[in-house]
Amino acid sequence: MIETGPGRSIAIWGTLTAVLSAAAILGAFLVAPEDADQGVIQRIFYFHVAIALTSMVAFAVAFVAGVLYLRNRDRRFDEVGVVSVGLGLLFSALTVLTGSIWAKASWGIWWQWSDPRLVTYAIVVLLYMAYFMLRSSVDGERQGRYSAIFAVVAFASVPLSFYAVRVAQSFIHPVVFTQSGANMPNTMLIWFVVSQVAMLSLFVTLLKLELLQRRTDRALNELKLRLESVRPL
Amino acid sequence: MIEADGLVRRFASRPALDGLSLTLRAGDCLALIGPNGAGKTTLLRVIAGLLRPDGGAISVGGHRYPEARQAARPLIGYLGHDPLVYLDLTASQNLELYADLYGVPSGRVLAWLERVGLLARAYDPVRTFSRGMVQRLALARLLLHEPRLLLLDEPFSGLDAAGGELLEGVLRGLGGERGLVLVTHDMAIAARHATRVMGLRRGVAAFEMEGPVGHADLAARYAEVIS
Amino acid sequence: MTLGARQFRALLLKDLRLELRTRQTAIAMILFAVVAMMAFQFGFGFRVDDTTPLAGGILWATLALTAVLGVGRSFVPEREQRVLDGLLLAPVSRSLLLAARAASVFAYMLVVEVITVPLVTVFFVQDPAATDFALIALVCVTANLGIAILGSLLAAMAVFTRARELLLPVLFLPALLPVIIASAGATHAVLGVSDDMPEYNGYILFLLVYAVIFALVAYATYDYVFDD
Repeated sequence: MIETGPGRSIAIWGTLTAVLSAAAILGAFLVAPEDADQGVIQRIFYFHVAIALTSMVAFAVAFVAGVLYLRNRDRRFDEVGVVSVGLGLLFSALTVLTGSIWAKASWGIWWQWSDPRLVTYAIVVLLYMAYFMLRSSVDGERQGRYSAIFAVVAFASVPLSFYAVRVAQSFIHPVVFTQSGANMPNTMLIWFVVSQVAMLSLFVTLLKLELLQRRTDRALNELKLRLESVRPL
Repeated sequence: MIEADGLVRRFASRPALDGLSLTLRAGDCLALIGPNGAGKTTLLRVIAGLLRPDGGAISVGGHRYPEARQAARPLIGYLGHDPLVYLDLTASQNLELYADLYGVPSGRVLAWLERVGLLARAYDPVRTFSRGMVQRLALARLLLHEPRLLLLDEPFSGLDAAGGELLEGVLRGLGGERGLVLVTHDMAIAARHATRVMGLRRGVAAFEMEGPVGHADLAARYAEVIS
Repeated sequence: MTLGARQFRALLLKDLRLELRTRQTAIAMILFAVVAMMAFQFGFGFRVDDTTPLAGGILWATLALTAVLGVGRSFVPEREQRVLDGLLLAPVSRSLLLAARAASVFAYMLVVEVITVPLVTVFFVQDPAATDFALIALVCVTANLGIAILGSLLAAMAVFTRARELLLPVLFLPALLPVIIASAGATHAVLGVSDDMPEYNGYILFLLVYAVIFALVAYATYDYVFDD
C-alpha cells in the first residue's frame, strides 16, 4: 500500500518552502532598504544570487549521484541525477534571465560579456542541455552510466569556465573586480540569507516530489508487468 | 575454471539470464544448446567479461568478477559472431596487434598464419579475403595467446571446408587442462565434442546431461524438455 | 618493454597504419581547418584593416571545431567493422585504451597545427616574429592535452549513441570553451608587437590545469564507458 512517509515529508518541506519564500519575497520587496544607486530593480538580486547558488548545489548533487551510480549501478542514483540536473538547468536558466534583467538595470545593457558569472551560467546552460541530449540518444543501462560520466565532466567544466572568463577579463580590463554583496549592511544581508534558504528548500521539495512521482511510476509498471506475466491474455 | 551462481542479466526489463548457475572444470567440454533468445550468447559474453551481470556471482580461473576481470582475460579465448579483425590491416598486422595486446611472442604470428593456411596471404589486407579466410584468421586470433578457456559461439558457421577441419582438429586436441564452452544449435556437433550438455530456455538451465552424449539421446531430451 | 608499453605502442601503431591505409582523417581535418579560417575571414576579418588582433581567436576557434571533427573519428573502424570486442577482450586496461586514443588525437591535432599555424600567420598577421612560432607551439602542445583527453572520453561514449555526429559537438564544444578562451588569449598575447609574457604564462598555466583536471576525470570514469 502507499506509505504515508514520503507524502508527509514532502508536505513538510513544501510548507517550509512556502513560508520561507513568502518571508523572502516580503522581506526583499518591502522590508529591505532600497539601494541608493539601482532602485527597485536591485531587489531582484536577492533572488538572482539565491537561484544561482541553488543551481550549483543541484549540479553538485548530480555530480555526487553520478559518482555513486558508477560505483553501485543503483537506478535510484540515476534518478536523483537526472532530476537534479533538470532542476539545476531550470535554476540556471532563471539565473541568466534574472542576471540579464539586473544587468539592464545596473549597466543599461541586456548582456555583458565581461561578467564572468553571467557568461559562466550561459555556458552551464549549454552543458547541461547537452546532458539531456546525451540521455535521449542512449538507451538502457548505458543511459545511466553515460549520464553519470557526463554529470562529472560537466561539473568539472563549471569552475574551469568561470576561471577562464575571469582570467581573460583580468587581462583585458585589469581593474579589481568588485564583488557586489560582500560588504552590505546586515539589513540587506539577512534577506539574502532568507531567500537563499528558501531557494534551497524549494529545490529539495521539487526534488523529492519528482523522485516520488518516478518511484510510483516504476512501482505501477512493475505491478503491471507482474500481472501480465501471471495471467497472459 | 568457471563458477557461476545465480546469474541475472536484463535487457530493457526482459531477463536474458534469470538465475543461471554453472560450474566448469578443467577438461570439460560443455555444449550449450537452446532456442533463440534463451540466453546462450549472453551467458558466453558474461563469462568472457564483456557483459556485467545484474545479479549473481561468477569467477573464472579463480578470478572473481568484476574486480579481477582483467586478470582472467589472458586465460580466455572468445569467438563470437564477429571475427574481430580490422579489414584495412593485413593478416599479419592484425595478429601482431593481438600478440602485443596479450603479451605473447610475436614469432607466433607467422606460425599461426601457417597453421590456418593463410601464410601466403599474410601481407594482404583482410578486406581482400573471402569469408572463409576471414573466419580462419579469426581462429588464429582466437588461439594466438593459447587460452585455457575457449568460449565459442556457433564457431562452425562461416567456416569453409579447410577451416572446419582446422576447428575440428583444435577441438579434438584440447587436452585435460583446457575448458570449452560451445554454443551450437547443431546437435551432431554437440554430440561429437561435448562431455556435458546444458539446455537453456528463457535464461535458465532447462536440463543438463553428463558424460559424452549420443546424438539421438540428446535430440530426444531436447525435444522433450524444450520444444 | 613492459606489457603496458607494448600494448600502448601496438594501439598507436594500429591507428597509424589504419590512417596510412585509408588516409581519411588527417587530410579531412586540414581541409576543414583551412575552410573554417576562410569562413571567419569572410565573416568578420573583412571589417578591419589589421587582422592581427583577431588572429589568435580565429586560429583557436578553427582548431576547436577541427578537434571536434577529428575526435569524432575515434573508434570508427572498431564500430563499423565490429572489432571493439577484440580490444575489450584483451587484458588491456581501459585507461591505457584511453591514453592511446588521446595520444592519437594529440598527434592528429599537431599535424593540423603544423599546417594551420603558419597559414594563420600568413593570412592574418602583419609582422610575425620567429619567436612567436615557438611560443605558439607551446600553446598548441598544452591545449592539445586537454582536447585529446576530454575528446577521447566523450568520443568513446558517443560511439554507442544515436546521432553521434551531431551529439559529439554538442557535448564537446561547451566543455572546450575554456580552452578556446585560454589558447586564443595566449596566442594573442605573443602575436602582437610586444610579447606580454605574464599574460601568456597565465593562460598556459590555465591550460595545464585544465588538462590535469580532465585527466583525473577521464582516469576515474573511463573504465565505465565500456563496462556493459
